[in-house]
Amino acid sequence: MPAIKETVEHVEELEVEKYKYGFKSDIESEVAPKGLNEDIVRYISAKKDEPKWMLDWRLEAFRRWQTMTEPTWARVHYPKIDFQDLHYYAAPKSMSAPKSLDEVDPELLETYKKLGIPLKEQEILAGVEGARVAVDAVFDSVSVVTTFKEELAKAGVIFCPISEAIRDHPELVKKYLASVVPVSDNFYATMNSAVFTDGSFVYVPEGVRCPMELSTYFRINEPNTGQFERTLIIAEKGSYVSYLEGCTAPMRDENQLHAAVVELIAHDDAEIKYSTVQNWYPGDKNGKGGIYNFVTKRGDCRGKNSKISWTQVETGSAITWKYPSCILRGDGSRGEFYSIAVSNGYQQVDSGTKMIHLGKDTSSLIIAKGIAAGKSDNTYRGLVSAHAKASGARNFTQCDSLLIGDACGAHTVPYIESRNATAVFEHEATTSKISDDQLFYCQQRGLSDEEAVALIVNGFVREVLQNLPMEFMVESQKLIAISLEGSVG
Amino acid sequence: MTAPNTAKRTVHLGEAENTLISQLLSAGARGAADELAASGLPTRRIEAYHYTDLKALLGEVPAIAEEAGQVGPPKFRVPGAYRILVANGRIQQSTTPPNGVVVSEAGGSSLTERDDVLVMLNHGLVEKSLAIGLENSVDPIVHIDHRIAGAPAHTAGALRIEVAPGATATVLETFSGSDAAHMGNQGTRVELGDGARFTHIVVDLSALNSRHFHTIEYAVGANVQLRNLLVNSGSALSRTQMFGVFAGEGAHGDFSGLNLVDDGQHNDITLDVNHAVPNTTSQELFKSVVRNRAKAIFQGRIVVSPKAQKTDAKMMMQGLMLSEGAQILSKPELEIFADDVQCGHGSTCGELDAQSMFYMMSRGIAREDAKAMLIRAFVQELLDPIEDEELSEALSGVVEEWLSRPAKSPAI
Repeated sequence: MPAIKETVEHVEELEVEKYKYGFKSDIESEVAPKGLNEDIVRYISAKKDEPKWMLDWRLEAFRRWQTMTEPTWARVHYPKIDFQDLHYYAAPKSMSAPKSLDEVDPELLETYKKLGIPLKEQEILAGVEGARVAVDAVFDSVSVVTTFKEELAKAGVIFCPISEAIRDHPELVKKYLASVVPVSDNFYATMNSAVFTDGSFVYVPEGVRCPMELSTYFRINEPNTGQFERTLIIAEKGSYVSYLEGCTAPMRDENQLHAAVVELIAHDDAEIKYSTVQNWYPGDKNGKGGIYNFVTKRGDCRGKNSKISWTQVETGSAITWKYPSCILRGDGSRGEFYSIAVSNGYQQVDSGTKMIHLGKDTSSLIIAKGIAAGKSDNTYRGLVSAHAKASGARNFTQCDSLLIGDACGAHTVPYIESRNATAVFEHEATTSKISDDQLFYCQQRGLSDEEAVALIVNGFVREVLQNLPMEFMVESQKLIAISLEGSVG
Repeated sequence: MTAPNTAKRTVHLGEAENTLISQLLSAGARGAADELAASGLPTRRIEAYHYTDLKALLGEVPAIAEEAGQVGPPKFRVPGAYRILVANGRIQQSTTPPNGVVVSEAGGSSLTERDDVLVMLNHGLVEKSLAIGLENSVDPIVHIDHRIAGAPAHTAGALRIEVAPGATATVLETFSGSDAAHMGNQGTRVELGDGARFTHIVVDLSALNSRHFHTIEYAVGANVQLRNLLVNSGSALSRTQMFGVFAGEGAHGDFSGLNLVDDGQHNDITLDVNHAVPNTTSQELFKSVVRNRAKAIFQGRIVVSPKAQKTDAKMMMQGLMLSEGAQILSKPELEIFADDVQCGHGSTCGELDAQSMFYMMSRGIAREDAKAMLIRAFVQELLDPIEDEELSEALSGVVEEWLSRPAKSPAI
């Protein structure tokens, strides 16, 4: 198949040089000594000017972490991580709370420009309906600047770095932090609880429809630092919020660790839409370097008729270990999971979701698309379960995998557990390459091999892309194109 | 500075494990005994036993079975079949084999050693296995009637079936026994020569308080046509694990199974199909019907090796839940390392279709009859491919017997 051959060649050609975010900004930064111990936890807490209760909470988490072992069940292989050989805190030095963008280090702004966050443009666009995005940028471990705070405040929406929320809204943080992902949930979540450095906090009050898309960019800049961000989003009764995170990391030889925790809480009739575009550095053509992305994301549909929707486009990271989940606790609540996972080179992806049906008449939808190329392994791992009291639960799951080249692997590991007779679960999965018939059909109508492959791959992921906020759909399409250059137009 | 604790926890051994260890030791299987002592029975943390936590579920292990005394008439009979009665793991009676069938005995288990506790126990405890050679096309069905007789007993048995190239044959294995808390651990290895056409039917009708474990291996040669059907309606706890390996091109396998599960039962079917060579196809169809507080488990994995281009594998699992307290747990897996393949799986579960029920009831069919009709229709897809009419009828009988069991908890 010439088109396939060409695609494979293109994929092979795709080397480090093409990692467009592979630049390193020379910004003076403040780094904590390597290693993880109680002193580091205290150091981070002190740096963040945290109240005592937060420090105690962190120390408790740290002590628990010491008794835990790394999970080994995922289908990923990597040399043992030396957790003592990492920096757990790095902050750009020049940025003690800039008042406006003008005060921000120009080089930092340059970094944003390269990242493609049009911060300045956003301001200009501020008055334009429907084109507004509030950005909370986390650079290494510290939130740099939050735009649109004022307008959000007018609507009653709190959108700030979590460190600020700990200071200014302790009652909310105390009430909700770790209420979805318990401190001792898993090895990486516990570690995150001990050392998380920043992240976003969103609180949408009752009945408010957040007037704009909220967005955060994460970037790991300092070598050997882990980025441990913590995000907490609370949607009160009848509210709506859409949140997007984008992640990049500069090119590095050594593996960097990223262990984030994201918690979403949706009360009665509330809706949270959480979208991720992740293109951390995937490592070079020999599988050297890259980010280890070990993330715990979980949403709790706590109220009646609440809804949480996860959309993810995963193109980066050497290793991805990530299962954005929904606990469907409220009667009539709904969980959705749309995912595109693209792996190339030596990338390893083990990702999926959990839909845990607890309430009555809950429903969930899972659409997962995996594209494996090069020598990568792409695994979908998911759980759909109905509790004995979850009568009328409904799930539909579709996992499709596309293989490009004969050296990659695509795997599907779903767990389907029905403990209620009235629950109806449907799961289907397929794995194939781009079929000759489809290609022939397109070619017959005058498309070149290349265009035909592009058309088919675009069609393959379309269902998921459509669920991204408009502003980020184009970026995601570009990302997939970069990751699989040659096969996507 | 302490690093996270990585030291292995010491395994606490329960009564069942201690009994098994002493049984292994008296059978001279020190290696297996040591291994079991070190790891214990698998818990849900062991992925392959995620839904069947043997440590928690096994219960008391009875003494190793003695020579069987009198055994009753067979629970499952196919007229015209050549029947070999194996009671308490020993060949009890057999008449002169029909043309093409060679019956013999061999030392030790017939299974391939693998990292699995049931296989390890089978190796440790089986002294002699039964070997059946099918040298050319065999007309009558060969029926291996496995029984456990008398007081609660632990039996371990093994069978090797060797099908000669080009031969056509059907082997039926049935498991039943006296009404006691037995534990059976059977191994069956089937070796299929190139071009063989083989049907393997396995029926578990063990007493409802017994535990039944069965490991089946299929080594599939080139151009083989294999059909297997598993029907489980007995045992309090059962696990049937099948490992199929396609080692020759052009072969096709149909793997199928029916779990009929009622109050207190926990029936697990675990399937692992490995397409190791190019140009092989397989189709997997498994159904579970669960009534009252019971559990049906299906774990199915299709592995496509890097060289196995042009593999076509389709797996389907369907579950029907008839009452509150029923559980259907399934894990259909795909593990694909070759790109030019067509693989898929589906899994569904739910209750009887309300519309179909309404349709039938609106035409004057009583609720219970309508339900039975829908259940029969649901399972019929599995029985349809069985060509032998007598066998097909006997299998339908198992379904009818299950349907006629008195209902316990209220249906929905």
